[in-house]
Amino acid sequence: MEKIRLEICCGTTCFMLGADKLMRMETLLPEEFRERVEITGVPCLNVCMEESICRAPFVRINGVPHAQATVESVFEEIRKLLEKEEREDSE
Amino acid sequence: MAAGDLFVEMECRQFTKSGQNACGDDYQLLTLEKENRSIAVLSDGLGSGIKAHILANMTTTMGLHFLKSNVDILRSVETIMDTLPICEVRKISYATFSMADLRLGGITRIIEMGNPQYIQLRGTTEVPAMKHTRIVSQRWPDREVDCFETRMEPGDRLILCSDGVTQAGLGQKKFKFGWRRSGELEFIQKLIARDPEISAKDLAYSVAFQALSITPGKCLDDISCLVIYLRRPRVLRILTGPPFHKEHDREFAQLGAGGANDVIVCGGTTASILERELQKKTEIDLHLVKASGDLPPPGNMPGVGLVTEGILTLSRVCSLLESGQTENAPMAARAILNRMHENDVIEFIVGTKVNEAHQDPNLPMELELRRNIVKRLTSVLETRCRKKVVVRYF
Repeated sequence: MEKIRLEICCGTTCFMLGADKLMRMETLLPEEFRERVEITGVPCLNVCMEESICRAPFVRINGVPHAQATVESVFEEIRKLLEKEEREDSE
Repeated sequence: MAAGDLFVEMECRQFTKSGQNACGDDYQLLTLEKENRSIAVLSDGLGSGIKAHILANMTTTMGLHFLKSNVDILRSVETIMDTLPICEVRKISYATFSMADLRLGGITRIIEMGNPQYIQLRGTTEVPAMKHTRIVSQRWPDREVDCFETRMEPGDRLILCSDGVTQAGLGQKKFKFGWRRSGELEFIQKLIARDPEISAKDLAYSVAFQALSITPGKCLDDISCLVIYLRRPRVLRILTGPPFHKEHDREFAQLGAGGANDVIVCGGTTASILERELQKKTEIDLHLVKASGDLPPPGNMPGVGLVTEGILTLSRVCSLLESGQTENAPMAARAILNRMHENDVIEFIVGTKVNEAHQDPNLPMELELRRNIVKRLTSVLETRCRKKVVVRYF
């Protein structure tokens, strides 16, 4: 089973608006989730410009950017993806 | 100081005598860029503690000023002696000193009074002085001043020290007469043989620490070792901020790919430009978050170098340098500070495009402008750290 890719923006604005907490995501995830998610830091996701301005912090989950990310919202997104994967596997 | 391709690295390391809260030795360093001249003065004040420090500091201040102003040596020494306050206990005024006046492409003069004789090394070979004269003042007949003339070639080192180094271990079975100049010389030669490019900073630290270690657990005298190293400059290039015109991105990124001894990329957008243009990927280990304090953790771009966040990290580096308190710096700031210390020329490549995301009204504090931080860094690096700073805008 492929791991879910979670990329966390380490840029200035994201860091100041909450990415510092997101960077600790690995320790906050339940153990059964932890093994199925690959978390990496990225210098900047470059999604804070233009129409997305004022919506930091950003993360990218399996290539899809998520604005105003919080530990809870990211956790919820991961949970949904894992459930979807399990459903697809059982079908 | 750099003249053409050469740089004069001057560093001193000191340890204070146990039980004292001020070092009885003092040193001052000065670079006269326009004259291609570097001056170093080291003095050991009579006794120890605050009183000795004041004597030593008065001596280094006067010595530096006289040397800079090309005042006659005898007159300088007599003025220093006349000015120093007289010790109530010993009824004399006294501070020994070593002064070095290095002129790139010219003669280097070393003037000593009472301090251990300097060491000049070319590789591991000691270089004798070209000329040695001894001056005795009529007013102070017991004070002999030795004046040496030598020529410093690229790669040469000049080592000055206080007697806390040469007399380390005095009275011990192995060091009846202390470590002595011969012991110090042999130690330095071995160090250079092992690491021919050892920096002045590392060499000064190694010598001072060795002198300290000879008597374990206690520092019996103030220890100072000052090293002057004439060498090709090491260049640290710091790229920060996206270029104003996007079409300059490639040229900007290429500057991260070579031409410097060390490269740091400060800023997320900046790192993204380099990743895109150089086909590289930054690796950030989020396990470092715990240890990275209140700054984002540093990363690494293979083939380029260190990658850090931009404004917050550079601001912190600047504040730490300005306050002089660089201990306990967060990981990313510490990584930059270490590289700044290891290199002689700091080259800032500053992209001037305004980062829209920094205008986000949700940000809890105002972010300082990149150009202002670089301006502050330039000032502190030139004045306090004696680095040569080059700034180039994109």
